[in-house]
Amino acid sequence: MNTEIAEKIKAMLVENLRIPADELEYNSELFGDDIGLDSIDSIEIIAGIDSLFGVQMTGAARENFQTIETLTKYVEENME
Amino acid sequence: MNNRRCVVTGLGLVCALGDNTEQCWSAAINGVSGIREVKSVDTAECYAHKGAEVALTNAELSDEDYDRSSLLCIKAANEALADAGYSAESFDSQRIGVIIGNCVGGAASIDKYYTDEIKNGCANAADILKMPAAAIANNVARHFGLNGTTANIVNACAAGTMSLAYACDLIRAGKADAFVAGGSDSFSSLAFSGFHALHALAEDACSPFNHSNGITLGEGAGVLIIESYEHAVQRGAKIYCDVLGSGVSSDAHHITAPRPDGQGQMSAIKKAIANSGLQFTDIDYINAHGTGTAKNDEAEFLSLHTLFDCNDHVSVSSTKSMTGHCLGAAGSIEAVLTVKAVCENMVPPTIGYSDDDMDALKEKAGSIDFVANSKREKTVNYAISNSFAFGGNNASIVFSKQPHDIPDHTNDQRIFVTGIGELCGTNKVEDKGYRAEITSDDYKEHGIKMAFYRKLDRFSQLQLISGMRAISDANVTIDETNENDIGIIIGTSEGPMTEIASFQKNTVQQGTANGSAFSFPNTVYNAAGGYLSIFAGIKGYNVTVANGIQAGIQSICYAADVLKNGEAQIMLATGTDENTDVTAELLMRAGYVYESSPYTFKSDAFVQGEGSVSLVLETEESCTKRGAERYAEIAGYATAHQSVDFGTLNGSDDALERAIIDACAAADITIDDINAISGFANGHKALDAMETEVYRDIFNRDIPIFCVRDTIGEARAAASAAQAAYAAKVLSGKLGSTQDAFILKANGIEKTTTDISGIKYILAVAVGVGGNYSAIVLKKI
Repeated sequence: MNTEIAEKIKAMLVENLRIPADELEYNSELFGDDIGLDSIDSIEIIAGIDSLFGVQMTGAARENFQTIETLTKYVEENME
Repeated sequence: MNNRRCVVTGLGLVCALGDNTEQCWSAAINGVSGIREVKSVDTAECYAHKGAEVALTNAELSDEDYDRSSLLCIKAANEALADAGYSAESFDSQRIGVIIGNCVGGAASIDKYYTDEIKNGCANAADILKMPAAAIANNVARHFGLNGTTANIVNACAAGTMSLAYACDLIRAGKADAFVAGGSDSFSSLAFSGFHALHALAEDACSPFNHSNGITLGEGAGVLIIESYEHAVQRGAKIYCDVLGSGVSSDAHHITAPRPDGQGQMSAIKKAIANSGLQFTDIDYINAHGTGTAKNDEAEFLSLHTLFDCNDHVSVSSTKSMTGHCLGAAGSIEAVLTVKAVCENMVPPTIGYSDDDMDALKEKAGSIDFVANSKREKTVNYAISNSFAFGGNNASIVFSKQPHDIPDHTNDQRIFVTGIGELCGTNKVEDKGYRAEITSDDYKEHGIKMAFYRKLDRFSQLQLISGMRAISDANVTIDETNENDIGIIIGTSEGPMTEIASFQKNTVQQGTANGSAFSFPNTVYNAAGGYLSIFAGIKGYNVTVANGIQAGIQSICYAADVLKNGEAQIMLATGTDENTDVTAELLMRAGYVYESSPYTFKSDAFVQGEGSVSLVLETEESCTKRGAERYAEIAGYATAHQSVDFGTLNGSDDALERAIIDACAAADITIDDINAISGFANGHKALDAMETEVYRDIFNRDIPIFCVRDTIGEARAAASAAQAAYAAKVLSGKLGSTQDAFILKANGIEKTTTDISGIKYILAVAVGVGGNYSAIVLKKI
């Protein structure tokens, strides 16, 4: 996993979605009970990923949004 | 039965359909749309470009240098007052108040301020006073010289209906003869960018109850002169119709989406019909909320079918298909159109249906007459207007062609303070004032999970914690047996200004197309009340009032009104305001913040604070039933207003005197019975001097003043609510037998330790810039 990308995504989630940094690991379930992201948050993730990496995630399959790891993998695979 | 009739005697309307009521009504019944390409906001990068803007420029609306929301409202109020036959000489100004619903406050001015700052490097400090929603009712009152109760109801898209409901309640309680009541909102990049981020805007004109693929934003103001029947007759006014009952409820479900099962919407509609003494089969026309989003329309279809399938003649339409969604103005604009429908026996249509759409509608409509494309001429005796908002706030109100006896739920029960929750800044940070400290333990204490609290902006965080502390302190358990009998009134001066400013700055920097979907729901003033209701499961009355510093005590007056009206058994009354780098900078630039201490009479400034203070108010019946411990009794309360420029106080001391005297009279005591005051001094010498001079004048003796701002700073509405909370604690005996107080004497004031054990009555009185005052008398039990 590209930790540089992962760190950027993590910082974006902390900043834009007010997730406490100390409770957010690369493999934390973003849409699970603890962090509890929802559909509005996924809009924010799509906007954040687009702004950081120029990668469009609109319409991307749900499993890509599960963790920072899966988001990182999607970005790596789709970055130009 | 309640024989106090409320009638509509004047109408005023400005929206994309026209510059006055007749133009708008004519367009509405002829199915003319006001939706065009947006002009005032740069939508170039957006997927949607439609809006329903008012063509008139600010200068064409009114002469003053106010924010556009105020100017739209003045334009409509001017028409409504003239229509009602009022002229400046013809009324007792203290008996006519102003209650205005609003969503985005001075959003156009906020946009201008941050655009100037970011793009031009120099923002204009004069724009700062135009930002808060609190300015609007004050500006309207100032323009017309009205000195009755003022309030800005800031419950987003339901605000314009709630303002009418509250005006009627106050008239029926005998607290005013008439109100300029309505709602106003300007078009704004903030709302456009926010709804765009949520993908809630329709690409083409909105299509309510049809394609339901999003809203189209609009702007405008709707104003009704609502008046007691006796007053209207006495002055020979023409009467359009009666306003019967209203209903206000809370979904306790989601911060932006309505409950899919429609329970919250139905609760408001049921209350409105029951409070009107009517049956569902009596209703002839429903002006629906009908925003055109899939979630709203599905829930509203369900609500209407569930409640009105028994009615074989009810017609429904959404005039938003023509006016656009005017947010805080929507309810009032629709109320004006509903009154016209009642008077003209004509139902305006929902427009935009193709032949195929008409076929689809037949299936969805079932037995209900959804009026599509062209008007329906029919007798309209009873009509209802629905408004549902972000935060899960719902409101419905009923208009009637004929007088109709309505059930009287009012009571004269004693009201007690049974719980207090406080979270204020007590640590003074250099140059930044007093800041409150919130840790994850504060959330854990009430079982609030990170998945919930991380969504909250600071304003909502402060409110959630103080609210839950108060509920816990009062030992109230909220469940299915009482969830509809518990409500919330939140008072604030500036609301979630930090989140609003952050969102706006981002929109200026990143463009309208790149607003934050995460942040936007928190930019509405009523989000905090929404989150609190969702977490606590409170499904009753839920209103947020933005009305300057004194809103923290006005919320107590309002909550007590709701209890006396029989609309709830338990009310949370709160005051909340934040002190962040953003608000500190704004206040500093506006010239308000510097080093100062109360009653030193040296400085032209104050030290800013922040926090939230919630009080649980409860009827005697509920207290007895629960065996609740009581801090003190709310023995009497009053509000008063003397119109002066927003941001100033000079010349309004008469209203301070009135608030105090009226509150004592309501408590059935004399001025001499008051043993101590919980005062509002904040270190600003003119404010402190005015306060002490009025007290000297009224009390004419040495009297102790407790000053909460000496320890928490000017936390605005939070500090006002803290004044009441402090008084309640003193009276409860929980603070022991001595406290520090300022003793006001004929020729000075001195801070000393005071014996509080013999105190029976405390007056808590608060001030708001623009000339608003509210006062309560707390009594020892």
